[in-house]
Amino acid sequence: MRANDAICGIVLILLAAVMIALAATLPEFPGQKYGPALFPRVLASGLILCGGLLVWRGITTRETGSRWVEWSPWTRDRWRLGSFALMLAMLLLYILAAETIGFILLGVFFLLGLFLWFRVRPLPAVIIAIVATLTIHWFFATMLRVPLPRGWLNTVL
Amino acid sequence: MDALLLAANLIFQPHVLLVIVAASAFGMFVGAMPGLTATMATALLVPITFFMDPVPALGAIVAATTMAIFAGDIPAAMLRIPGTPASAAYTDESYAMSKKGELDLNMGVNLVFSVMGGLIGVAILILAAPALAEAAINFSSFEYFWLALLGLTCAVFMSSEQPLKGITSLLFGLAINTIGIDPTAGFPRFTFGSVELLQGISFIPAMIGMFALSELLRGAVTVDHQGAVVAQKIGNIFVGIWAVFKRYWFNFLRGSTIGVAIGALPGAGADIAAWISFAVSKRFSKTPEKFGTGHVEGIVDATSANNSALGAAWIPALVFGIPGDSITAIVIGVLYMKGMNPGPTVFLQNPQFIYAVFLIFILANLLMLPLGWAAIKASKQILRVPRNVLLPIILMFCVVGAYAMTNSPYGIIIMLVLGMIGWLMEEHGFPIAPAILGLVLGEMLEQNFMTSMIKADGSLMGFFERPIAATLGVVTVLIWGAMVWRSFKPKSGIIPGLDSPGT
Repeated sequence: MRANDAICGIVLILLAAVMIALAATLPEFPGQKYGPALFPRVLASGLILCGGLLVWRGITTRETGSRWVEWSPWTRDRWRLGSFALMLAMLLLYILAAETIGFILLGVFFLLGLFLWFRVRPLPAVIIAIVATLTIHWFFATMLRVPLPRGWLNTVL
Repeated sequence: MDALLLAANLIFQPHVLLVIVAASAFGMFVGAMPGLTATMATALLVPITFFMDPVPALGAIVAATTMAIFAGDIPAAMLRIPGTPASAAYTDESYAMSKKGELDLNMGVNLVFSVMGGLIGVAILILAAPALAEAAINFSSFEYFWLALLGLTCAVFMSSEQPLKGITSLLFGLAINTIGIDPTAGFPRFTFGSVELLQGISFIPAMIGMFALSELLRGAVTVDHQGAVVAQKIGNIFVGIWAVFKRYWFNFLRGSTIGVAIGALPGAGADIAAWISFAVSKRFSKTPEKFGTGHVEGIVDATSANNSALGAAWIPALVFGIPGDSITAIVIGVLYMKGMNPGPTVFLQNPQFIYAVFLIFILANLLMLPLGWAAIKASKQILRVPRNVLLPIILMFCVVGAYAMTNSPYGIIIMLVLGMIGWLMEEHGFPIAPAILGLVLGEMLEQNFMTSMIKADGSLMGFFERPIAATLGVVTVLIWGAMVWRSFKPKSGIIPGLDSPGT
């Protein structure tokens, strides 16, 4: 996916405007000329300048016939689009559900789902998902003592 | 001398050596897998090194990246896909050599000249860093402000054909860095009352997102593209190397020198070093017409250059805390986590760590010879590892790694958000490296900027009053001028493929 430079420029200008607005709420300290708002203001001004130039450049390329948004070829292929979405969906699911379900169960589901979608044969997919999850768990939770969430397996572990 | 002995003592411990060998094997594998880069290897290693002592932690990173940069040459020759962007410059040339039946010679040249180029890079690092550190000890906030700005400027200048997008990327990285407690007054900025945002955008999850997750997202839509390996048996790869060296020793020296110079420049790393030295090689070759037909000359230049750049990138990183490439950007994050703030004082207070880095570099380059030989021998098996199995496992690894940095889902959220942003940036031709450097150097830049502003009482002339500061300032301003001039000129396009995602 590739949006026209003008769209990127507008997004950047909006972002910078929010930054300036928020920086205005930062306090000034008496007797000190330069407070915490100065640096963000300098950066935001720079972003607005760059955004403006991008808008200008985007509009000039529009005149030579480029579209507002160009879609890469893979976005027309349902399976590939699904691969992309599934990667993000699995991450979101992990963020939301890991504390409740726990690393091991969710990890196996996470890997198995992706393997099957990527057309790994079912039996190897199940075996690799279980072995890989347990290996990562052993490495991080046992060796490095990272408190990976236990979730539903809390009583068992 | 005592520090050197102390350093050797720190390294030649069984568990440290074990870490170095394991990290080397990991680096070999990651480098040889197309789509997994040396920077990604580093980003994936960091959550693990977090739990180690400083010396094995640095050893793991040095060893893994050294191997990965070489290993990228293997699929370049066998699949015509560079294993890392650092091999992209001569992928076609390498593949043409294999098609001519010179795969053995190509692999041998890549391995031997990578080792030698790497050693030259280390030699310069050892000679230059302590000397520079001595000079840097007297630097004040003005010099550091200009150094940081110069570093960021170089990053923009070198990393993109479109300076405008490079600058935007840099400003974006700096802007993200302002989230959290501000470094001079200690006031929370842009935290929206969130306790977790108070600590700022955690650097490592951000790196994992921008360098690993964005790469995985790109890989996910091409997961079924597994290249076909050339059907050629690997024989003795060391036959004929001496003849190549006798003929092209000057190319080797030139390539290594260019590599060192570009590696030491902030923001540009092994990939750009390879592109430039390959272009230089072709430009000054007696037989430029042979380039593109499987000619070994340019490969000697470029494969020496990318490995020498790797070591040289540590010069500004260790001396000034300004990363020479995206790998050392991560390293600086690791150094801060280990409480060894990079800068000239490390050379005085903890010289054994600096010497340890030097020794590990030498060790890693020597280790590359046998390990590289083994990797070449096993390459058919390595390249057959299916991507549809590898990709989900790496994704899971990223999740756990990001989580381990904050011990909360906050790390994963940062990884996800910045990974998406990184992916979008790449899609739109914004280089990622300047944003990452902005994120790393932002605090140093702001702190020195604010201190200098207060000292000079807002007068811009104050920034130019000390001689070294003035020189650095003038150079920085000149580079900005050159960039403005270049962007108003029609495209020159000297170096193709510069918008690649880093080393």
